[in-house]
Amino acid sequence: MTRVNFLLALALLLSSLFLVRTAYDARRLFAELDKAKDDGARLDAEGKRLEAEREGQATSLRVERSAREKLAMRTATPAVTVYVHDGAAAGVGK
Amino acid sequence: MIGRRKRGAAARSVSYSSSPLLASKTPPWRSKFLVALVGLGSCVLLGRAVHIQIVGNQFYLDQGEKRYAHELELPALRGRITDRHGALLATSVSVPSIWAIPKDVQASKEQRRQLARLLVVAPAELEKKLADPNARFAWLKRQVDETVWQQVQALGIKGIYETREYRRKYPEGESAAHLVGFTDVEDHGQEGIELAFQTELQGRDGSRTVVKDRLGRVVEAIGEQVDASNGQDIGLAIDAKVQFFAYQRVRDAVAEHRAKAGSVVVLDVQTGEVLALANYPSFNPADRRNLTGKQLRNRALTDTFEPGSTIKPFIAAWAMETGRVTPTTLIQTAPGSVTIGSSTIHDAHPHGTLTVAEVIQKSSNVGAVKMAMQMQPREMWELFTQVGFGQKPQLQFPGAVTGRLRPYKSWRPIEQATMSYGYGMSTSLFQLAHAYTVFARDGEVMPVSMLGQAAPQAGIHVLSPATARAVREMLRLAAGPGGTAPKAQTIGYSVGGKTGTARKQEGKAYTSDQYRAWFVGMAPIDRPRIVVAVMIDEPGNGMYFGGDVAAPVFSQVVQQTLRTLGVPPDLDVKPQIVATAVQESF
Repeated sequence: MTRVNFLLALALLLSSLFLVRTAYDARRLFAELDKAKDDGARLDAEGKRLEAEREGQATSLRVERSAREKLAMRTATPAVTVYVHDGAAAGVGK
Repeated sequence: MIGRRKRGAAARSVSYSSSPLLASKTPPWRSKFLVALVGLGSCVLLGRAVHIQIVGNQFYLDQGEKRYAHELELPALRGRITDRHGALLATSVSVPSIWAIPKDVQASKEQRRQLARLLVVAPAELEKKLADPNARFAWLKRQVDETVWQQVQALGIKGIYETREYRRKYPEGESAAHLVGFTDVEDHGQEGIELAFQTELQGRDGSRTVVKDRLGRVVEAIGEQVDASNGQDIGLAIDAKVQFFAYQRVRDAVAEHRAKAGSVVVLDVQTGEVLALANYPSFNPADRRNLTGKQLRNRALTDTFEPGSTIKPFIAAWAMETGRVTPTTLIQTAPGSVTIGSSTIHDAHPHGTLTVAEVIQKSSNVGAVKMAMQMQPREMWELFTQVGFGQKPQLQFPGAVTGRLRPYKSWRPIEQATMSYGYGMSTSLFQLAHAYTVFARDGEVMPVSMLGQAAPQAGIHVLSPATARAVREMLRLAAGPGGTAPKAQTIGYSVGGKTGTARKQEGKAYTSDQYRAWFVGMAPIDRPRIVVAVMIDEPGNGMYFGGDVAAPVFSQVVQQTLRTLGVPPDLDVKPQIVATAVQESF
């Protein structure tokens, strides 16, 4: 009888230790998961910021200035535009 | 000796075996009373246990949870505002906001000085924020750049933290500032589309309840998480390129003519969409320090003025619509003046006999008055109302004004006469552009929209297509050689429109040296695609006629807009292409 009691007490002790360990693991993993989610959200926000920055770099003002000053482009007018009819475009494939 | 001491001790102690108290019989009520007391105690304990475990269980659970649970807010992302092609006009980005626990802050004098410099605040102001030793929270600076926070971190001051907040970015900057508007630091729309669509844009914050450990890490989630629902994106009808170009042109024109301000409105006639709405002076939405009302005002929608000659085509149209005149009917405008009651109305230059078309082309006041005086006041009022004068534009945009159009019953004959050439009533530039869609759409007034329209809208029928076409022909003459605005001409596209120039009103009188010049027109004139209205306020270097000041802006905006929209030119253009590519063979 004493031996059974002793075994049961030992099992209880081991089970308690295991429980503590599992609870600890669960919390650690959850914290990691949460951190990963946070990182995900942060990267997402960062992506949005970069997207906004890219748009900021490609505003009409900047494009126009670069086109004029760096590439020496001019605004197209109908006088320097050749209008091609759709029919002609369809004929090219033949 | 020992025996005596023993005896003495025995005499002082009680002999229990012979205690008279024990000998007496205990009364039975005493034991019963004790049992009852213990029983009662058990009942109280049991009752309390029942109360805690069953009756008030939720309360205690909640109380317990409060001790260890933290509710975290999941902020919703404000919707973006885009142009018709999806280019960003406003978007939210996550930025650090810096805060401190004042009692924890340990910083040397030098560190504090550097912190104040980084945050661009006065050192005294920073000291004030950090002075309260009991305060547990103080914003140091909200919504700073990422690099600023990195530099602050590098200072290594204890007790300073960051939290993430969203800040609005406006890539198109000042060119679309009046249109897009802006938000305050709490992310609430204050102006423009940001204000008009606040409900749609803002979204709903979510929340989650968690357990945190000693280090502040989240270790467990409690209950269900309420996800944040992000705000809707708003797709405007605006074309960012057209908007930018219109802004640039009006800005240049204001500078060139040393004017006070200017506005441009571009409407798509086919859909009623607002393609551009630009004002100068404008502001940079990202830096709103030292803003003045002048910069903030969306003049195209909020400033009203007497529309002057731009009203005449409506009078001619109605006179034709009701069969009173035809485009070739002759009207005697000599000697260049007409008297109504005790007042005399003059033309700027006497013209003699003019056809109705020429009345519009030469912008004769006398001709317009003679046509208008054949009409009932009610007819004129109804026409004006139908095309939107004196009516608030049906536009999802804050601040649009109604203008002034008095009820026809109170018109005196002289007022009816002056209204025929646009005095005694007032309108905004936007209303004027909107009204001109009646000519561009073969007699229909288009409902206007700031948002992209999937399908063309049905307009309100006001004039017959034949009348609208006849008026367009007159507008073509007015913008042609011999008209008032030959500078409105473009390369490749036929245009038509009407100029307006007026002395500005100050109180009840007109000023002698302050003018407002404007031009409203459409292109291509045979099948109009856009209506463009341009207004320049107080041109200051001698030129002040609409044809000289506003028409060139109209010409440039029309040219660029039609090219951007891919409308083929309807006029023959002498090609200036110097080299022709040889067609490749396959």
